[in-house]
Amino acid sequence: MRVKLKRMREDWVIYFMILPAIVFFAMFHVIPIIEMKLAFQNYRIIGENTWVGLKHFEILFSSPAFKDVLWNTVIISTMKIIFIFPIPVVLSLLINEVRSGTYRKYVQSISYLPHFLSWVVIAGIWISFLAPDGGVNIIRNFFQLPSIDYMTSKEHIRWVIVFSEMWRSAGWDSILYIAAIMKISPSLYEAAKLDGASTLQQMRFITLPALASTVVTVFILNLGFFMNAGFDQVFNLMNDSVISKIDILDTYVYRIGLLNGQYAYATAASLFKGVIGLFLILGTHFFSKKMTGKGVW
Amino acid sequence: MKKIKLLLITMLVIGLLAACFSEEGGTVTDTKEGGKTTIKVAYKDDGPSNEVAVKYYETLAEKLKADKDIDVEFELVEVAQGNYSEKLSLLLNSGEIPDLIYFQGGDQQIANQDLLLDLSPYIEKSEYLKDVLDPHHKSKLANYPYLLWVKPVGHKVAVIRTDWFNELNTSEALIANPTPENYKTFFQELVDSGKADYATTVAGDISELDHTFEMAFGINKTWLETDNGFVFSKVSDQEKEKLAFYRDLYANELLDPQFLTKQWDTKEDAFYSGEIGVIAGTNGKVVDFYNSRMKEINGDKAELTILPPAKGVYQGFGATDITKESRGLAISALSENKDLVFDILDYLASPEGQMLDRLGFEGEHYNVKDGEITLTDKYFAEWYSRYWEPIEVDLGTPISDETPMLSAPATESQKVVNQYFEEDNAFLIPEEYVAQWDAMENLYKEYSADIITGKQPLDTFDEFVEEWYAAGGEDLTKLANEKLK
Repeated sequence: MRVKLKRMREDWVIYFMILPAIVFFAMFHVIPIIEMKLAFQNYRIIGENTWVGLKHFEILFSSPAFKDVLWNTVIISTMKIIFIFPIPVVLSLLINEVRSGTYRKYVQSISYLPHFLSWVVIAGIWISFLAPDGGVNIIRNFFQLPSIDYMTSKEHIRWVIVFSEMWRSAGWDSILYIAAIMKISPSLYEAAKLDGASTLQQMRFITLPALASTVVTVFILNLGFFMNAGFDQVFNLMNDSVISKIDILDTYVYRIGLLNGQYAYATAASLFKGVIGLFLILGTHFFSKKMTGKGVW
Repeated sequence: MKKIKLLLITMLVIGLLAACFSEEGGTVTDTKEGGKTTIKVAYKDDGPSNEVAVKYYETLAEKLKADKDIDVEFELVEVAQGNYSEKLSLLLNSGEIPDLIYFQGGDQQIANQDLLLDLSPYIEKSEYLKDVLDPHHKSKLANYPYLLWVKPVGHKVAVIRTDWFNELNTSEALIANPTPENYKTFFQELVDSGKADYATTVAGDISELDHTFEMAFGINKTWLETDNGFVFSKVSDQEKEKLAFYRDLYANELLDPQFLTKQWDTKEDAFYSGEIGVIAGTNGKVVDFYNSRMKEINGDKAELTILPPAKGVYQGFGATDITKESRGLAISALSENKDLVFDILDYLASPEGQMLDRLGFEGEHYNVKDGEITLTDKYFAEWYSRYWEPIEVDLGTPISDETPMLSAPATESQKVVNQYFEEDNAFLIPEEYVAQWDAMENLYKEYSADIITGKQPLDTFDEFVEEWYAAGGEDLTKLANEKLK
């Protein structure tokens, strides 16, 4: 302990550099947890808030709208986990196999680009792309298939949410896995090649096992955000015809809490969301630890 | 040396933390600098970085001193970028409450905490404001005395290019008798003649069409009086008829098939490019903007013509909600300068105040020559009245006929909206119904969209009515019948 403190004193400049991150973390993550007590109060701008116990939770859980948005959130988040989570892993494996350096950089840059676009722009692109006279329907019509108005279709809108998110985030999310692949010793691949392993076998027996701990960690951390089904995305892609299919907890909290000024009610909904996220992280961590010996810590 | 470094760093950290956490919410103090009283103002887009706004408030302070001997200086509050209503709400809820606040929604929650001033006694004693109020302003103030917005009644008015309108054979019949049937015939010719791909569209919200058609189907109030008491108009038989009409327009490809995903910008682009023949815009300034943009793109012959509201059971642009202003100016009940702030609002309704608020800066936005005011291009490009726009304005000097404040179509839109003015019987939804109201509104939006676009048969409307009552409509209807009887 004394040695540690001594080292910290010696390297104080380095420790000092993490101070902004600590302040940021305290302001945006620790203080809001303390202020979550608002979920049990009636908010007053001036003067003391009054304690109301579980009143806001009772209203929340008795509201049929809340049950619908909760269900939508679970469905959309599950779809995103199942269909989007593996894509960056696959993409990183594929990018790793590209031998031409220039082409590889080109593919990486192109796949990262959508990440830098705002959802307002992405929504505009997807709405025109999926419109009855948009690109997708031109292709459908070419094959004598009827046009589908994907944006107003209750059957398709959740898939639009999944694919548009996949398009936006797959490239960027693959950076972590590409970095993990870069850390693998080339001697392992060389030895495998000498033993006659094919490219697929190298991927299966060297790359994937080396990626496993990163994949598990990212998966567990992602589960913490399970109830964040994507406010910006849904807000920009929603229209009157598909409200019942994609109205999620975050858009509901925004409408009721921010637009109607029901801050305590909105805090109750957010607290509920946070508690579910916490249980999911802890549950998955302990499950993973038991099954594979790997977890977040 | 090390100790000095450590000391400096510690001070820096303390300073940083203090900056982050020391903002204590509360009232605005009566700050006086050099005898001047500081008035804090929160107004959309009028932050300290907006040069025009800064000059506006500096000029206003000078005029107040010269004309009324009121010695003030204004401090503009920077409201974070984004949705103004949401950002303002966050600012106010943090405890920072300026003296004068412009609201665009979200005011009711602040008023419920007794933080907004009741303006009624002030207006009663005012020198100018009481004389510029229209009956609808007075009704709104009687119901909700915290928000003041002296502007003409606002409704969405349907507009079309005049050259197209004159070339259509069905135009005359439409003007003579604007029934929904004649509107449909007119729309059909507009499309069949190849002028527009679709007759009309809206920016994702079908209620834009309601302004033109709703009253023709008998919907003249939010709560319709029947033999069995008051019924919410959106679950009435009249609503079903109206939706059937929209459904017909959609099925005949007269209503844009992509109306649900249209935004305000794509709607306007489609209008200017000729893809759409008729759109609805708010009377006054918005119609003025549509008109100048249309002429800029398609020439003077494309000047806009205002279409009349459809005629049927009733005729009009819909009843005007008089429960409260949906936007406007409020004074903080915590302000130590309430009287002074109101005096400023009153001054802005005077001829001198109106010269600044309505016309801008002399030599920049207008010139006075030969006893006439001539408005400049800069006026039309950037100026708008931040405060009051009474219909009858007394500036002391006439405005030249060559540069009227509003174009002919915009003036006409004001005129027709005033001609059909009718008060609504809607009431403020109590706070405990907010979550239910949100669910009921979403039900309506989705069912109406599905019925219009043919995804659901018209009879589904009855299913919607049942669901609406179950989602809280029953309680709300009971409340309406108690309030309105």
